[in-house]
Amino acid sequence: MKVAVVGGSGYVGGELLRLLLRHPDVEVVQVTSDSMADKPLGRAHPNLRKVTSLTFTPHAELRAADATFVATPHGESMGRMPQLLETNGFVVDLSADFRLKDPAEYAAYYPTAHAHPELLAESVYGLPELHRSEIRTARLIAVPGCVATATILALKPLVDHHLVDGRPVVVDAKSGSSASGQDAGPAGRHAERSGVMRAYAPTGHRHTAEVEQETGTPVALSCHAVEAVRGVLATVHAFAARPVEEKELWRTYRTAYGEEPFVRVVHEKDGLHREPEPKILAGTNYCDVGFAADRHVPRVVALAALDNLMKGAAGNAVQCYNVRRGLPEPTGLEFLGLHPI
Amino acid sequence: MTNCPECDATVENHGMVLGEVFPCPDCGTELEVLENAPFTVQPAPKEAEDWGE
Repeated sequence: MKVAVVGGSGYVGGELLRLLLRHPDVEVVQVTSDSMADKPLGRAHPNLRKVTSLTFTPHAELRAADATFVATPHGESMGRMPQLLETNGFVVDLSADFRLKDPAEYAAYYPTAHAHPELLAESVYGLPELHRSEIRTARLIAVPGCVATATILALKPLVDHHLVDGRPVVVDAKSGSSASGQDAGPAGRHAERSGVMRAYAPTGHRHTAEVEQETGTPVALSCHAVEAVRGVLATVHAFAARPVEEKELWRTYRTAYGEEPFVRVVHEKDGLHREPEPKILAGTNYCDVGFAADRHVPRVVALAALDNLMKGAAGNAVQCYNVRRGLPEPTGLEFLGLHPI
Repeated sequence: MTNCPECDATVENHGMVLGEVFPCPDCGTELEVLENAPFTVQPAPKEAEDWGE
């Protein structure tokens, strides 16, 4: 398949290219970026030096392709989406533009009205664990946000098995600096970021809308920046409808993810790494999900860890591509991570 | 075949002997073989750990 990448100069674009340039079903034919036009890919992504002779081209020079990945900043893909769908095969959009089904929800969380709300109904939320059958035939796949992916994968089994009592579920998420993208502004400076433990969105985080859309339950989400480049850890505090034993939680999560290639249930009695943690997942497409039943109050704590650039963005996008193409889902995503790191 | 008393995972007997200790494939609990027929296990006794918590 001849594949184009629109907006390939950011962190997500670089991670996507790292995967696609070695993917056995993909020939990357074009990568666009206005800010890096005519420069080699390795100028933006030094890990890709001498891997390819491709250079960035301006967005205006985008040519037809069999499939297209879009990794532009939020708000930029929706305007060009009708044209892309006309000429560039199926589209995997890594921005937030087509994740939400309700245009009013989009307007509540993003600064502009949606340019093409008629496409929201058609777009498929690109989380294979929830929407695998729809992704197989989709023209437009909207890859979820990183915090949303972790939260949904931790929370959805509890909702599906009626273990949540209907009150809002509290989610405390921590994320590394690359989740803010290359243009994070002053907050991304070393002097500000080093050693940070900052509540950057105690309320009102945009991913709240995605989580509520996909789980069907109200969510109170708070997000924190921590000292890491990659990684998201979502801690879900769900007040249980009745006392819950850990054996039941094991059965619940085993039922949900026992056959999933990229979700591992992690809740071990012994050892150093007993619960999910993002550090050992850097560069992998895994989301590790764990849990604990609180014996003091009727609370279930669910945890999910992932690499925000992988299962939280580019890796999940490639997994969606594999589903859409009918390929084994681990194709091009076999990296097992590093330890120690 | 039996189930882990901690997480309910299916645990198979691959020729283990009485008293043998092995980890549950899901939750990692160290299990001790109590009987072979029927295959019966229990969490193996261990020293308490202190992780500085």
